[in-house]
Amino acid sequence: MADKEATVYIVDVGQSMGERRNGRSVTDLEWAMQYVWDRITGTVATGRKTAMMGVIGLRTDGTSNELEDDVHFSHISVLSNIKQFLMPDIRKLEEVIRPSETNKGDAISAIILAIQMIITHCKKLKWKRKIVLITNGRGRMSDENLGEIIKRIKEDNIELVVMGCDFDDPDYGFKEEAKDPRKDDNEALLRSLVEDCDGVYGTLEQAVSELDVPRVKVVKSMPSFKGYLQLGNPEDYETALRIPVERYYRTYVAKPPTASSFALRSEIPAEDQPESSETAAATQGNQSGDALTSVRTLYTYQVDDESAPGGKIDVERDDLAKGYEYGRTAVHISETDENITTLETYAALELVGFIQSDKYDRYMHMSTSNVIIAQRANDKAALALSSFIHALFELESYAVARLVMKENKPPVVVLLAPSIEPDYECLLEVQLPFAEDIRTYRFPPLDKVITVSGKVVTEHRNLPGDDLLDAMDKYVNSMELVDNDEDGDPVETMPIEDSFSPVVHRIDAAVRARAINPDEPVPAPSERLTKFSHPPEDLLEKSKQHLERLIDLADVKKVPPKAKGRKRTRETEKPLSGLDVDSLLHQEKRSKISPNNAIPEYKQRLAQVDDIEIVKEATKQMATIVEDQIRHSLADANYDRVIEALGTMRDELISYDEPAIYNDFLRKLKEDLLQEKLGGDRQELWWLIRRSKIGLIVQRESDQSKVTDAESKEFMSAK
Amino acid sequence: MADDYANRDEQIEEEEEIDETGYKSVKDAVLFAIEISDSMLRPRPSSDPKKPTEESPATAALKSAYHLMQQRIISNPHDMIGILLYGTQASKFYDEDESSRGDLSYPNCYLLTDLDVPSAQEVKELRALAHGEGEAQDVLAASKERVSMANVLFCANQIFTSKAPNFLSRRLFIVTDNDDPHGDNKSLRSAATVRAKDLYDLGVVIELFPISQADHEFDSAKFYDDIIYKASPSDPDAPAYLSADAKAPTTTGDGISLLNTLLSSITSRSVPRRAHFSNMPLELGPDLKISVTGYLLFKRQAPARNSFIWLGGENPQIVKGVTTQIADDTARTVEKSEIKKAYKFGGDQISFTHDELKALRRFGDPVIRIIGFKPLSALPFWANVKHPFFIYPSDDDFVGSTRVFSALQQTLLKSRKAALVWLIARKNAGPILGTMVAGEEKLDEHGIQRVPPGMWIIPLPFADDVRQNPETTLNVAPEPLIDQMRCVVQQLQLPKAVYDPLKYPNPSLQWHYRILQALALDEDLPEKPEDKTLPRYRQIHKRAGDYVLSWADELEAQYVKTAAPGPKSTLVKRSAKDRASEAEDAASKPHKKVKVETDEQGMDDVVRAHYQKGSLSKLTVPVIKDFLTAHGRSAAGKKADLVERVEEYFDQK
Repeated sequence: MADKEATVYIVDVGQSMGERRNGRSVTDLEWAMQYVWDRITGTVATGRKTAMMGVIGLRTDGTSNELEDDVHFSHISVLSNIKQFLMPDIRKLEEVIRPSETNKGDAISAIILAIQMIITHCKKLKWKRKIVLITNGRGRMSDENLGEIIKRIKEDNIELVVMGCDFDDPDYGFKEEAKDPRKDDNEALLRSLVEDCDGVYGTLEQAVSELDVPRVKVVKSMPSFKGYLQLGNPEDYETALRIPVERYYRTYVAKPPTASSFALRSEIPAEDQPESSETAAATQGNQSGDALTSVRTLYTYQVDDESAPGGKIDVERDDLAKGYEYGRTAVHISETDENITTLETYAALELVGFIQSDKYDRYMHMSTSNVIIAQRANDKAALALSSFIHALFELESYAVARLVMKENKPPVVVLLAPSIEPDYECLLEVQLPFAEDIRTYRFPPLDKVITVSGKVVTEHRNLPGDDLLDAMDKYVNSMELVDNDEDGDPVETMPIEDSFSPVVHRIDAAVRARAINPDEPVPAPSERLTKFSHPPEDLLEKSKQHLERLIDLADVKKVPPKAKGRKRTRETEKPLSGLDVDSLLHQEKRSKISPNNAIPEYKQRLAQVDDIEIVKEATKQMATIVEDQIRHSLADANYDRVIEALGTMRDELISYDEPAIYNDFLRKLKEDLLQEKLGGDRQELWWLIRRSKIGLIVQRESDQSKVTDAESKEFMSAK
Repeated sequence: MADDYANRDEQIEEEEEIDETGYKSVKDAVLFAIEISDSMLRPRPSSDPKKPTEESPATAALKSAYHLMQQRIISNPHDMIGILLYGTQASKFYDEDESSRGDLSYPNCYLLTDLDVPSAQEVKELRALAHGEGEAQDVLAASKERVSMANVLFCANQIFTSKAPNFLSRRLFIVTDNDDPHGDNKSLRSAATVRAKDLYDLGVVIELFPISQADHEFDSAKFYDDIIYKASPSDPDAPAYLSADAKAPTTTGDGISLLNTLLSSITSRSVPRRAHFSNMPLELGPDLKISVTGYLLFKRQAPARNSFIWLGGENPQIVKGVTTQIADDTARTVEKSEIKKAYKFGGDQISFTHDELKALRRFGDPVIRIIGFKPLSALPFWANVKHPFFIYPSDDDFVGSTRVFSALQQTLLKSRKAALVWLIARKNAGPILGTMVAGEEKLDEHGIQRVPPGMWIIPLPFADDVRQNPETTLNVAPEPLIDQMRCVVQQLQLPKAVYDPLKYPNPSLQWHYRILQALALDEDLPEKPEDKTLPRYRQIHKRAGDYVLSWADELEAQYVKTAAPGPKSTLVKRSAKDRASEAEDAASKPHKKVKVETDEQGMDDVVRAHYQKGSLSKLTVPVIKDFLTAHGRSAAGKKADLVERVEEYFDQK
């Protein structure tokens, strides 16, 4: 559980905050609010009830606080008491944060007030207390009683953060020229106050520039397994070894928040509305004022039944039992036998054997990684595990083990590697593949070419020559991601610590941005999120000449999109022996395409002659065959065949540059289908055609086509 | 029906992100064509005197088919398989058999198992036939007439066309020992080549599993080179044909080795090669792109989820679920275009349109972009989140890709470096940061490829995915203790000091389907699972037992030494009993049992005593829980459940 938090933001809204300075396009207040909103929405996004905030306006027109009778506390208004912030609070705050008409109001008094608020709220309980002051330091500040303030802040363990517009900060490297003397004094006052309270003092520019550094959510790990690292079977052998251990995640993929589905609320006549307050609470959520209602998923169940119209009948959920598929046979498993297919296992991490670490292929890692440490507060276990870790390390070995995390969970085979750092020792663990997880796809070697006759060739257009290898080597060297630190030691650039999950943080940022500005479009990803999407500029510069040489020697040529499919000039494929099958086909004299061998014969017919009339004629024959198949299809029996035939026609006519023939046919087919001219209701087939992406051939696919993407989309979407 | 269509629109949307294959259905259909002739049926004796089983090429082929069928039910539950025997006396094709009127369309072709997702019944029949049981044996009789190969091929053509018309992958596995079925008969030969071309144009790939006869090496040049094409037309990415792959098993007399060779040869081709992404640009630098295709060579195989079964019909039937979206307020059906997506924020919903959400996840077009290079050693062992992608060049989009890819692969291998890459695997897929490492080709002892040459992209964790190490106290073992442990480790190296995944089938997956098969076929349930992942306890005891004992002695000694000075840390809560047992451990060495945990033996004895007295319920819950955890049992539930589980434990012993 994270600690309870109470943060009070003191926002300077004085008249002078409404001005634009130092060439910025935003006023000081707008600038400051970028920072404040980021903090506030960041906290709201956690959804934690114990992360509370309060907001104080400084240099407000009016005065509204519990010490308002004291003149020192005039022009300070509590805009929000300490509480969990929700959307209505954000909206309310947005309304009132405006530059005021006054420059009166003392920042130090505001800090006293904030301390007071925190003391009242947190009492002596365990809270993380924090005060954040954002000001341009142009108001009057009094330095009375500073000692008392510092004492209270320290006593109550409050973190004081001061962010100033154009405050000098040598650490960050900012200095404002021609500074107003009063501002200079104020800066000095605030700085010494912060330093005395061990707080944070900074210039706003830095804070705003670092806003896009994503905040990584720190998750406290819980052990995913507590049990024994075992060697041998302790039930049967006295020589078995057991070390009590705990297992924790080392990596675990952070997922973006999930969105739920909503629809616009239907217009309901007023009298039908239930409790109006309740409705209001439920619907006011949407920023733009649209009332949303949640969307539910309704499940219905069907089984095939040839005798039923449509071939399917609905069945009730209550009539259903559980089971599995074995091939196409349904295997029913009664409730009492529910666990019959579960392998009986007992929790343990059992050593199977050891392997040489240099013989292990890193790409066999199958999962996220975990750490395994000795049971906490068990010195003997820690000692025992340490000897195991060091033994593996000294022998350059990994251990292969069988892990069952809980009773009756499926066993996994894991690899255990020793990890020894000066102040930390553990085993690292990842899962290994089983026999079933491996697909044996075979590929030809990359350093030689084996011809069909079995000859081994080492010089070939698919193999790099020495020049190319040399250029590649130089290029790879020049693109090394290593930098030197101040001491000249090499450090890795682009480490994992700086790579933030782009999707997680972009969605997070978009949600927060929309919460503040509902009407703006979704923002582009911040630069930090895409930093790893391209090589660093300096590296590119450094490697430029090597790349040029590599490009030159590589001699890679893009295949023009047209040539990929064009068939008219291409050789026909031959069997391994190289036999000319085409001449045999000619002898066969297949003039009419037979319906039961339509696709091969259609392709062969087109391949034989280069004559538009024959292409047309053959396609017409295919069209008739397809229409017949549809007409005679019992329910959806022939649909897959129809799709295959259409797809083949489409592909062929694209490669023969005759898109119009296909498009004309498809238009007519659609009409016939929707008018039920081909044996009744064929909606389902039309849906299949849409899904299979065998719509009109568009310009993109064949430059002979006059159909645009939009036209095609329109044609396909119409029902 | 309208709901149904609204719904499917959503499916279209979702599928667009996954399925880039167009109109083909991403499935595989394998049809075995097994020749039945006198020589195929002649049993070959076993050369191994210990296993005197005889095996004929035909039964070996049927067993291989049976094995593949079983395997595919697990690995590819939606793919089809069928078995066609040819050269048989009997003929059967859908509605036709010898008793039909009129001429047979495909004489001497016997469709044993129709091309389909296999049913339990079919599995059972095939097994019976392969093992020489059952009535179907009569089928295995060779015809006197020579069967026409053209007819066999066209028969296969018709089976594929009607049962798997638009599968992405369709393959005909021909198993035969006859390398020259038609000799000099020109017209039969040319008819066969024409029918083979038809199959090729249909998109069916013929794969030959040739069997050599005792006195005669199978020579594919005689006939089969005329009917087999280099690559599948539906898979233009397939690199050049691997000739080493197509070698005939050099089988002479031995039936068993024939079966094994055939099995492994068929198994290696059991899964059609499916790309995870194809013709993906690999950007080596600005203005230097080549194209590659990505595959998943490792993928966790899990049992299929359980499903709803309807028992109202004659046979149990799988139920298909249909979902409809309805609005909560009026229960009306909601069209997909109406649906907005919203995130919870500050007690409210922050909503986005579909397009906006899509845009949020979009970081550019699919690409693999090299960001730079790092030494291989910069890839920590723990930096992993899932299985790798394997990539191999394709010259389809960029001529010269293979050449450049090869240069990069060789360079990285030689310099022991890896590339940092930014990968967007598919349109609208979130970016992945990965380390691209070069992989060498690995061959097995027979020179058959085990691991292909290429490159592997290992997805890295983002900063958000890295968890902090849990706190622990550092307690470094002294040298003598490490020395003892080293001896233990050295005794127990796996063969060749490597992990060979093929030796470890997934025990729970196998058990799941073993049970399902028994239930589906109405067989007796197997008693004990075969679990190759279980350590070999006897061997461990024999080889390392003594070393473990001396390690344990050393541990005691070292522990006493380190623990002795000064009082115990007060942070550690220890009961009096704990300390007692520690003292006992240190003082005496009566029981050899190795234990690191402080009081396990004591706890075991106490619990056992209560069990024998039948007074387990007198123990406190924490004690029972500790006991259960120590023995790998679940410690969840009420006290009564826990006690029951302890009883179970002792009952089993």
